[in-house]
Amino acid sequence: MAVGSFEFGLSANALNAWAVWILPFVAAVVIPGVAKFSKKATNGVAVAFALASAISATTLLPLALGNNEIHNQIPWISSIGLKAGVLADPLAALMSNVVAWVSFLIFVYSTGYMKGDKDITRFWFWMAFFVGSMQLIVLSDNFLQLFFGWEGVGLASYALVGFWYKDKKKDHVGIEGRRVLGLVDYYSPTHSGIKAFIMTKVGDIMMLAGMFLIFAFAGTFGFRELTENTAWATTMSAQHLLIPAAVLLFGGAIGKSAQFPLNEWLLEAMTGPTAVSALIHAATMVKAGVFLVARLAPLFFALAAIGINMDQFFEVVAWVGAITAFLLATQGMVHPEIKKVLAYSTGSQIGYMMMALGVAGLSRQFVDGYTAGFFHLISHAMFKASLFMAAGSLLHIVGSRFMTDMGGLRKYMKKTYAFMWAAGLGLMGAPFITTGFWSKDAIFAAVYESGNTWALPIFVLALITAVMTTFYTTRMIGMVFFGNKSKHVEEMEKEGYHIHEASPSMWIPYGILAVLTIGIGVVGLAFEHQIHDIFTEYLASAFGIKSDMANVAKESQSVLGGFLEGVNPVALVSSLSAFAIGFGLGYIFYIGRFVDSTKFVNSNIFFYAIHKFFLNRWYLNALIYWGFVVAPLYFARGVYRYFENIVIEGFNLVPEKTMAGGARIMQATQTGISQSYLYVFGAGILIVVLLLLI
Amino acid sequence: MQFILLQAVFLPLLLSPVAYLLGKKFGPNMSAWFSFGLLLYCTTIMITSVFSGTYEEHYRWTQLFGEFGLLLDGLASPFAIIIYVVSTVMVLFSKPYMIAKITLQFEERANSQKQLIGGGTMIESSSLKNYVNNQIGAYFALFLVMAMGMLGTVLATNLIEFYVFFEVMLIPAFFMIAFWGYEAKRRVALLFFFWTHVGAVILLLGFLAIGLNAGSFNFADIKEHGIPQNILALAAVGIIIGLGVKMAAFVVHIWLPHVYRAAPTPLNALSSGAMLGVGAYGFFRLLIMLLPGEYSHFALFLNLWGLATMMYGGIMALVQDDIRKLFAYSSISQMGYIIFGIGSASALGLSGAEMMFVSHSLGKVLLFMMVGAIVLQVGTRSITKMGGLAGKMPITAVCAMIGALTIMGVPPTSGFMAEWTMFYGVLQTAIQQGSTIRMIAFGLGLVATVITMAYVLWMIKRVFFGKLPENLENTKEANWYVTGPMMVLAGFTVVIGIYPDIFFNQIVPFMKGLVGV
Repeated sequence: MAVGSFEFGLSANALNAWAVWILPFVAAVVIPGVAKFSKKATNGVAVAFALASAISATTLLPLALGNNEIHNQIPWISSIGLKAGVLADPLAALMSNVVAWVSFLIFVYSTGYMKGDKDITRFWFWMAFFVGSMQLIVLSDNFLQLFFGWEGVGLASYALVGFWYKDKKKDHVGIEGRRVLGLVDYYSPTHSGIKAFIMTKVGDIMMLAGMFLIFAFAGTFGFRELTENTAWATTMSAQHLLIPAAVLLFGGAIGKSAQFPLNEWLLEAMTGPTAVSALIHAATMVKAGVFLVARLAPLFFALAAIGINMDQFFEVVAWVGAITAFLLATQGMVHPEIKKVLAYSTGSQIGYMMMALGVAGLSRQFVDGYTAGFFHLISHAMFKASLFMAAGSLLHIVGSRFMTDMGGLRKYMKKTYAFMWAAGLGLMGAPFITTGFWSKDAIFAAVYESGNTWALPIFVLALITAVMTTFYTTRMIGMVFFGNKSKHVEEMEKEGYHIHEASPSMWIPYGILAVLTIGIGVVGLAFEHQIHDIFTEYLASAFGIKSDMANVAKESQSVLGGFLEGVNPVALVSSLSAFAIGFGLGYIFYIGRFVDSTKFVNSNIFFYAIHKFFLNRWYLNALIYWGFVVAPLYFARGVYRYFENIVIEGFNLVPEKTMAGGARIMQATQTGISQSYLYVFGAGILIVVLLLLI
Repeated sequence: MQFILLQAVFLPLLLSPVAYLLGKKFGPNMSAWFSFGLLLYCTTIMITSVFSGTYEEHYRWTQLFGEFGLLLDGLASPFAIIIYVVSTVMVLFSKPYMIAKITLQFEERANSQKQLIGGGTMIESSSLKNYVNNQIGAYFALFLVMAMGMLGTVLATNLIEFYVFFEVMLIPAFFMIAFWGYEAKRRVALLFFFWTHVGAVILLLGFLAIGLNAGSFNFADIKEHGIPQNILALAAVGIIIGLGVKMAAFVVHIWLPHVYRAAPTPLNALSSGAMLGVGAYGFFRLLIMLLPGEYSHFALFLNLWGLATMMYGGIMALVQDDIRKLFAYSSISQMGYIIFGIGSASALGLSGAEMMFVSHSLGKVLLFMMVGAIVLQVGTRSITKMGGLAGKMPITAVCAMIGALTIMGVPPTSGFMAEWTMFYGVLQTAIQQGSTIRMIAFGLGLVATVITMAYVLWMIKRVFFGKLPENLENTKEANWYVTGPMMVLAGFTVVIGIYPDIFFNQIVPFMKGLVGV
């Protein structure tokens, strides 16, 4: 059993856990004050607070290694009996470290990237707010408090995606003038900010509904309370409300993590400063959804012990993940903007994580899929943050977001080139030396071994996605660093500008992460086993999910011995061949440039159509706009014009006209002619007299 | 101490002539600061009396109607506090706004006279000063009376008393629109008076039906079972319609956009932030507390009516270009939220509905102050003519954003605390009653929050972001009479959002007692 240290009232032992999420918020509050004295000093303050938060997070690591937890609550909304609290269990401890350290590096990078921006105060405020909200999600011990962080990251993303609020042309995303189904595919920062906020809000209301359903039956928002007493689940399942509630909660994750069908905001979120993109994609926001599923999946899986079957929930998770992984990878292969390619790849990789977590719930060995998903989260955080920051440097130096405006840069930006290869290999899952390989392989193995009826189709989708991932990553590196200089670069050079390496404050952070991708990758298997052990103990003690030891024993006698002991051979062969095919194709088109890719696409109506279909985002974005933006606005205008202004306004006219008409009649009687008054007077007297007589 | 509430209610009325005279003699500053000090004093004594729990004062009145009481309980205190806090803050904001507005009117008048006479008359600066002093004195006098009317309504313990205060607050509003409104101000003032008065009269019919049958007009003495069933139903319908008109619920909302378009901005803020909420208060006090049996019949209807209002208002707000009209429809939509919560028939739902009033007041007043600041600094109300103002008016932009978040119900603002409790209450009742209609209403209500978010964010984008039009290049930040109050309210909404117990400690136990949980 875990040595759970639960305390009520702010406890000294839990201060480090509180500090992890409170420190960034303190930074957010302090920074505008600091900016009054010196704008430059805000850089230092922000980085210092990020470091302090990261160090606090590190002090939580022993919890993960020793399978301990800190659970500390303080009174909050006492009138409803709700408490605020931190819950630092192994899952939260690992996650908060990933978040804290990656964001720390991104903060360091930002000091270089945002140099000279006059709105730096606002930038740091929201960056700190962003990280604080994310840590709040990670360390919350209940849904309601988590939702504060949840909306906090939404708000911060809105503010940061629309950071360049003046909507200058260079800050847009998409190709100007391009239309899909009659709608422009070209978005301004502020538009994209709203899009991100509203699309994730759609997920959030689902999540709220799910939260409320559970609260209505359990009477608590607390994760620990929900685990300890599962009577609520029995009641809910009897009323057929448990699966809907779980799926609604997953709706929140779909929105935040940009999964199908709420994936489209992620691409436009590229209008923000690149440091923000790195933060959104690697450390905060999209990882929040995965974390939520990781928080909830064991809770739901453990219900199997009391005879509640949650397979439908896990099937939804797995399929949404698989579909997203495939869908976004196809689009990543064709887009010309470097940040967009990376964004597609994030959505796709998050899909992998969801898939792993979903499959975990469908298999006997829950911990395998769980570990695979989380391991992929960690490795993705490292290489994606690195790739984004490197891409930011490229944007900075070249002054264009299009890869077609780059080309041949490897001679000029050697460090960036090397680091991008390292991180890129991680994304591709280059065999044996990168974290990406091991984590992806673990997912393949988990899917393959799950023994579920859906395992095969999901496995095939995952495999095709892996091929595409390798291809688009190779394509990206090839287009940016190989071949000849683009016209854009040549023109810049003509004007006296010369391409140079990024400044150290920028390349060191992504260098570190790129090196880590390889460094941890070399010992990847051991690293994975470590996480596997942590989670095995954690799941057993906190949720009572026992690993099937017999199965583990059987596995260890697998065909592969020595270095690769315990690795599933089918998964291994699959991921190796996926890498080989994807890399090979990418090499032919973009590095070796044996075949011109544009000519190739145009050579054949089939390729052309597919290319266009992918480039138009499967028409999903346009359809969403038609259905949820354009049509409702037409509808609203129609209602305003024909119902509000005619029918409802009519209610006004009735009394108005009646009163005016009445006034006119009354007015007519006031003739001012004494004679007519006399006649009426006489007639009146006559009537009165008659009445009296009768 | 005695007579606390009596002071809080009647001091503004009694001293309103002083505000006028001070304005006339010494100018806007004196009048504004006098009104501010007076309201601040009244607010403070009222808040201190809340600390000790329920607080009431009773005075002898007429034999016919019963006693004259002032009651500050868990239901009334949030309303009372917000009404006076908003009024106090709005005094400061009114000063620069009204000076500008009155000066404008003076110039218009002078111009029209010039045209009539033939362009010969000289306008002395002293006559402008006199005109402004005179008018602003009258403005603050009316302002104080209006504040008194609103407070009196929520403190009343007697049906007739309630009605009197309810009507009293309309009169100053009528004059404010007629004197300092825009465009067809007289017509709109009449329209406003007509609609709200009709609503009030319907309400009065309901009151009389209850009072005459129950034998007393005192809230405390009225027992539902003492009244015949058919009369009870009629009275309930009267109350619902009367208050529905007041809150501008769907179908009877049409007066509100007109009024908001024509009224001066401080009045908009006051009416949206405080006056509409009096209608919500009426639902609690008159329907839920006096006629609980009837309430349980009408709860589902109120729930759906609220839903229709919140959706309709939101959809209409999406397509407005006049920024005041946008907020008019937004207010309608927000009142829909409150009615939606009132129809929830659960303790938390009702608490949420009341919290919604608190939060809506803070948020909407912030947004109206933003409108005022923009009208002052930019001089246009058409959203299409704005843009990029965030760079020019950063404090206004930040405060308006916080107000917008409050309206959208995004944590950590008070809006979220209101919305989650309210929606949860609706769901709770739906589950308990096994009602599919309520379940669907809950889902659609959540959808309405997305609509709210869409129109608010779109408005903010078009006003504050994007390209700055060339003619606005020289726009400056509003002065601190505007930004100061905004910052106070913005801070307040965040504090409540993080620590809602400030109000929940009062509201939740009261509502639990009411619903009988």
